[in-house]
Amino acid sequence: MAYDWNFSIVLHYLPKILEGGVKTLALAGSSIAIAAPVGVLLGIVRHQRVPFLRVLAVIYIDFFRTSVALVLICWCYYALPVLIGVNLSTFTAVTIAISLQSSAYMAELTRAGLQSISVGQWEAGRALGMPGRTRLRYIILPQAVRRMIPVFFLLIIEIAKTTTLAGVVTYPEIVYEAYRVATEIYRPIETFTIVGAVCFIFLFTASRIALYLERRFAVVER
Amino acid sequence: MTYHWDFGFLLQLGPLLLQGLMNTAKLWAVALVCGLAIGLVVGVFRTSPSRTLRVIGTFYVETIRNTPGLVQLIWIFYALPILTGLQSSPWIAAVVSLSIYAGAYSAEIYRAGIASVELGQWEAARALGFGYINQMRYVVLPQALTRMVPAFGNRAIELAKATTLASTIAFGELLYTAKIIAEDQYRPLETYTALTLLFTAVLLPLSYATIQLERRLGKKGTLHRE
Repeated sequence: MAYDWNFSIVLHYLPKILEGGVKTLALAGSSIAIAAPVGVLLGIVRHQRVPFLRVLAVIYIDFFRTSVALVLICWCYYALPVLIGVNLSTFTAVTIAISLQSSAYMAELTRAGLQSISVGQWEAGRALGMPGRTRLRYIILPQAVRRMIPVFFLLIIEIAKTTTLAGVVTYPEIVYEAYRVATEIYRPIETFTIVGAVCFIFLFTASRIALYLERRFAVVER
Repeated sequence: MTYHWDFGFLLQLGPLLLQGLMNTAKLWAVALVCGLAIGLVVGVFRTSPSRTLRVIGTFYVETIRNTPGLVQLIWIFYALPILTGLQSSPWIAAVVSLSIYAGAYSAEIYRAGIASVELGQWEAARALGFGYINQMRYVVLPQALTRMVPAFGNRAIELAKATTLASTIAFGELLYTAKIIAEDQYRPLETYTALTLLFTAVLLPLSYATIQLERRLGKKGTLHRE
């Protein structure tokens, strides 16, 4: 039995699928906007061995980097409202879930970036009479950030992929919209082939940019 | 108002949860083994002297790595019966999809591992009269494999997380089971909290072990980073 492929009907619904794609990106954007600063802060706290706060940071980072995005999304949407007594929109719930996990990844990324700067740089700063925070701000961070940029871009790609899970709690992102289209026209394979292609074009371009950044910001160790 | 926590009902539903746990473990193990096998073949393709094989390998890896796992899973769930004529079940679709997914990521580890072996090793093997396959089989891969172990550990952890995707096609793994229990008992808070803790309790030690291994290999100077 040969399957009768029919893509033309799905293409009619392409605007709807792309609309979902835009919602997916909005979700990724808001998650990154929260996760990036929180993660950098946690990474600094962990690396600088700030007393007491460091322990909290380690617990937070280790917990969220080994937890599962989909489970966190379900937790934030179904369980968190029970705990705090406030109903959350799907957008808010998923943003919280993804931010929690991504900030943990971001913290590890920051720590790795800070660790890659040689001790000599800290010592040189001290020799110039700079206090700790000034050294971090003007000597260490600028160098660390340069090394972090390519990896940060990879993290953004991972976050973009993770946001496709938001449909599970009925947020109308690309996979959710595709499901609705697929059931409406009884063409699941064609629909999801198109969705796959849309995602591929976007993610492939992004990963090429990441590769370019990696070359562009490559640090030559002497 | 403070919420009255009660985890007791979860203990009564132990058998149900255990079944979910077994299904998750089964999916994880089978997909990991199949993924590592696919990855080995594709990784060798990616480093082979044949241009055709390299193109096939690259096409596979780029396609899988640049599409979300959820889209792959749903696609395979619907496409499998049409492409193969087999009746698709959530279990089959999940295993096939996650194996393909894990295969693409582990192929990159194999590729980098193989590339990290010095050219001199290949040449020495060739000088001893080994053909390409035997150079790979007896000289290059054994050296590359130990360097790859920590990277495989990380992939195994990521794959364990990915098994929860199967809940979306109604495969009865842990998350799917938890969903049913949460709705049935009107206790989403306890159910999902317990599930979150369970995953971390299993994956965190695994992650620490991987980091430890990475350090040990790093000290020996044979570390290969993903």
